[in-house]
Order: sequence, then C-alpha cells, then structure tokens
Amino acid sequence: MDFAHFFMSWIDPQLLGLVGLGTFAGIYIGAIPGLSVTMAVSILISFTFGWEMYDALALMIGIYMGGVYGGSRTAILLNIPGAPSAIATALDGYPLAKKGLAGEAIGLSTTMSALGGLVGIAVLGLAAPAVSEFAIRFQPRDYLLLAVLGILLVGSLSGESLIKGVFAGALGLTIGCVGLDPLTAEERFTFGHVELWGGISFVAVMIGLFGVSEALMQLQHIDTPAVKQKISRVIPSWRAVVKFLPLSLQSSAIGVIIGALPGTGGDIAALMAYDHAKRVTRNPKVPFGKGAQEGLVAPETANNAAVGGAFIPMLTLGIPGDSVTAIIIGAMFIHGLNPGPMLMIERPEMFWFILGALVLAVGFMLLFGLTGIRLFVKVVELPRAMLFPLILLLSIIGAFAVNNSLTDVYWMLGFGVLGYFMKLYGYQLGPVILGVILSRLIDDNWRRAIISERESLGGLMHGILTSPLSLTLFLAVLAILFTSTPLWPMLKTRLHRRRPGKDEA
Amino acid sequence: MHDPSRRLPGERLFSVLMVAASLFLFHTATGISGFAGLAEPGSFPIFVTGVMAITSVVIALRTFRLPHSLEHGWRAIFPGFVILTAILMGFYALALKPVGFLPTSFLFLTLSTWAMMRCALWRAAGFAALSLILVYVVFRLVFSVLMPEGLVPEREILAYIAALFSGGGK
Repeated sequence: MDFAHFFMSWIDPQLLGLVGLGTFAGIYIGAIPGLSVTMAVSILISFTFGWEMYDALALMIGIYMGGVYGGSRTAILLNIPGAPSAIATALDGYPLAKKGLAGEAIGLSTTMSALGGLVGIAVLGLAAPAVSEFAIRFQPRDYLLLAVLGILLVGSLSGESLIKGVFAGALGLTIGCVGLDPLTAEERFTFGHVELWGGISFVAVMIGLFGVSEALMQLQHIDTPAVKQKISRVIPSWRAVVKFLPLSLQSSAIGVIIGALPGTGGDIAALMAYDHAKRVTRNPKVPFGKGAQEGLVAPETANNAAVGGAFIPMLTLGIPGDSVTAIIIGAMFIHGLNPGPMLMIERPEMFWFILGALVLAVGFMLLFGLTGIRLFVKVVELPRAMLFPLILLLSIIGAFAVNNSLTDVYWMLGFGVLGYFMKLYGYQLGPVILGVILSRLIDDNWRRAIISERESLGGLMHGILTSPLSLTLFLAVLAILFTSTPLWPMLKTRLHRRRPGKDEA
Repeated sequence: MHDPSRRLPGERLFSVLMVAASLFLFHTATGISGFAGLAEPGSFPIFVTGVMAITSVVIALRTFRLPHSLEHGWRAIFPGFVILTAILMGFYALALKPVGFLPTSFLFLTLSTWAMMRCALWRAAGFAALSLILVYVVFRLVFSVLMPEGLVPEREILAYIAALFSGGGK
C-alpha cells in the first residue's frame, strides 16, 4: 500500500508538473555560474511553507537533481563549473568543447548523470530500510558522534583547512542554540530580547549564507563576458554508452558511498571518481585533462549518484548528507515531519514518494538535458548583471515571507555579509548550515547520553569504548581531528622517508 | 580566490573580530547556567562557544603569521559593486515596510541594474518593471506571499481588476 506512493508524483498532474518544473529550473539554475542549487533551494523553501508537503518536496527534489546535473553544462561550455559538483567535469569537458565536441560531451554527461542518478536511487531504495532498522538501535551517544562526524567531514573535505571548518561548524551549532532551551525553557543567547525566544529563523540564515553572500561574491566577476559555443549533435551513440558502462557503475558506487557519508556531497564524490577514473584507465585515447571522455563520465555519474546517497542518512538518521539535504530536512521539520529512523516506520509512504519523485526527476533530467540546447545557450549567455539584482530581491522576499517579519530580513542581510567575508577569507559555509540544523539533535543527544550515565564523563567514555558502533564513530572523529594536527604531516613525512630505506634493505 | 598561504587585506581584522565575538559568546554561555552540571542548559553552549574561541584564536595566530598577498588590494576585496549592492540592500530592507514592496523593489532593481549593466536609466527601469511584474505574478499571486503594501493600495487595485474581469468594474 505504501509502495503505491512511489507512483504518486507520476500520476498526479500537479506533482508531475512540479517535479518537471523543478528539474527544468534546477538545470538552468545549476548551469548559471554563481547560482547554486543550495541557493535556489534555500530561497525557494521560504515560498513553499504554505504548500502541501508533497508539493514542496516534489519541487525541491526536481531542483536538487536538475541542479547537480546542470552545473556540468557551463563546465563543458565555458570552463566555469555552474556548481561545485561540476568542478571535475570542467577538467576534460571544456577541452572536449574546444575541439568542437561540446554537443557530444553534453550528451554523454547527460546520459551518464541519469545512469548515476538511477543507481543512487536504487541503492537508496535498498539500503534505507535496512539502515533505518539498524538505526533504531542507535544510542544517543551514537547520534551525537555521527552528527559531530558529519560536521567535521564537511569541514575537512570541502575547504582549505579543518580548523576553519570546525570554527564554522561550532558557529552554526551556536546559532542553533539561540532561543529558549527546549527542555528547561532557560534563555540562551537571547540577551533579554523576547523576539529571540523562538531562535533565529534558519531560513534567514540559509538565504543569507547561500543566497546573498554567493551573489555578493559573484558581483566581483560581473564583468566576465559570456563565451559562445556552437553545439551540434547531442544524443550520444549507443556504443559510447556501453563502452563507459563499467566505469560509470564504479563511479556510481563511489558517488553513493560519498553521498551517504554525513556531510559530504556530490562535489567530493565527483573529484574522487575523477581520480578513480585516472587510475583505472590505463591507456586513455586522449590524455586526462586534454579531453578524455572517461574524465567526463566518472564525475558526472558520481555527482548524480551522490544525490540518492545523500538521502540515505537524511531519511534514516535525520542527518543531512550535504547542504541541500540539510535545507530539505529543515523544510520537513517545518511541515511537521521528523526525518530519522521513525520516519520510515511512521510515514513509510513519504519514503516511497521521495523515491518515486527522484526517479521521475532523473527522467525529466534526461528529457530536458538532451533537448532545448538552444534555449539553454541563450539563458547562459544572459548578462549576469541582470540576474543578481533579481536574486537579491528574491532573497529579501524569501526571508520576509517566512514569518512576515522584517527582523528575519535583517538577520538574512547580516548573515549575507558575514558569509561574504567568511567565503572571502577561506571559511566554509557548509558546516555552518549543518551546525544550525544539527544543533538541536546534538544538544538533545548529548544531554540524554550524559543523563543516562548519571552525568559521569567516565561512564559515557566507557559506553563509547565498549560499543563497536560507538567506538568506530569515535575513532573516525579522532582520525579526522588527528589528520588536521601538525602531527599528521610529520608522520607522513617519516613514513615516506622510511619506505625507500626498506626497499634498499 | 583565497590562497591559504597568503593573507588578504582585512583578513587580520576579520580574524580578530571572530576571536572577540567567540569570547563574548563564550562569556555569555557561561552565564546561562554556569558550570552546574554536564546536562544543564548551558553545558552544550559552553562547549561549542569554547570550540569557537579556541579555533578562532588558532586561526588568528596563523593569519597573523601569513605574508601579505601582493596580488589583491582593497579594491579586489571590496569592489564598488559589492559595497553599492550592500548599501542598496540595507536601504531596501529599511524602506520595505513604510514605502511598500512594489515601489521599493522597483527602485532597488532599477538602481542596481543601472549600476551593474551601465545602461541607460530608462532601459534599467524597463527591465526592472518587467522583472517586477514577473516576480509579482509568481510570488504574490501564485505563491501567495504577502509583502508590505506601504504606499500602494495593492488589495484595492487587485480587487478592482478582479471586478473588471467579472464584469462588475465601475
């Protein structure tokens, strides 16, 4: 009965239209450099508060899937990745375009993105029920460690320095603490202002960090002219698809695993898949970096496979797989849903609906990806000076629309300016939003864990060290922290020095 | 743009501000419930602001040791467009409630497009009007987002248009 919800978005014309519209918009938003999926979803979320949950989810899923794919278009055509997940795509995609093979490169990337997307969704469908069943046995300390791991992972993998990532994560957690304590109603960081009792609207934080700050950053490059490309054949040959099938399946596996790790998303998956392709392709027809099709196939498959992967921790543990799923979690909270192991038990129909909508979004992605190229080129060539004032206007409307409050607009502007400086000086913004979303979960589970051990840190540590799961998570947290200390490079240098010695012996 | 081995203009000041903010937040966190116990409402805020304070100090120390970036001057960090846009957004937010959504947005779009595209003012105004109509139809009419009316009696105008279409316009 619940499985019937899989087809809900396929049958209901309104939901079908919303997934289609979302995917279409996502492709174009993802393709325009400076407009990110995170930005689009964070602005959009504020407009869908009054909607039915299914409608809101249908639109967001479409945008997410389309946006991850859309970034590849500009990476291929202009050598400017439209989204971080398309950074690796540009390495070989642009050289292909320079050789006059832009159409073929777009066709191949579209087909492989669809394939990767489907593999990711299949794994989500198979793994999520099992993970969810397993997660019911999680102790509060496991949730605590998992959430900390997520913030550290996104902090360490997505930026230049872990310490800045940790700072950003802690900042997000602090922002999430503002308001009345959920257990004792004690005021935290309210400074006597009643308006702060309900906390800072996370939508205002998100729009500020991902909408306004990104737009301000892009204003620095507003004079960069758009490059024009001629595109001929788009639909790839069957032979090419079959040829790259093994590599794309391997890349999909990388994409799903990386996507499923809390805090890591398509951008890291794509870079790792590109690296994998370089290692497994012994004799590429064209060298990597000069237009190797393998270098295009691997990241494109992986980044879309990561979408399905990112939904696994979100739906089963309530921990976002990346920034976009962090925002979707926020939307689900607002609509009265509680992502986590109980969601699969209490609202299994929601899981099947998401799965069905994701598959539908892949179908639309294939359809829109292989058609409408001329319109696409026109949109990408639009001067960015026309777009940014509109984005900023939408950001303001979005922040205001949530609570009809100007205070949220001021918060949004404040976080926009802060986000601009943070980005400028090399701080990552992903951990901030993950921190805001996970603050409550970490705080609750920390207190549950410590209360269950009668406020004894020794008891908590004993619990961690004697449980295989907790111990694994704890060691993972320690490993990430260790690799950011000066000891790690010292150890690596020592090991490298020893190796030649061993060989000689 | 950011090269981790070089220090950008203003980076030292920003790192110091982060230290000051972190220490202030840590001080505030200690005032929530003191150090009464590990499960108290203040324990988690103390921990996270403590992490903020420690990491911000480390970041600041590292930043102070970095050599100055020779490539980027202040103009690269704060281009005129960024400053102008930030100021326009500030004014927009202040004027939104008293003046209303439509006139404020029209002015904001016209001025920012005019400055960024360096086109004639009438073209910027035309573009702003077109964009605003699109935004209004999508967000006000489709998404039903209520924006401050201010000086423009929006509801009366909408009611009048609706009445015209239903044949009851006066």
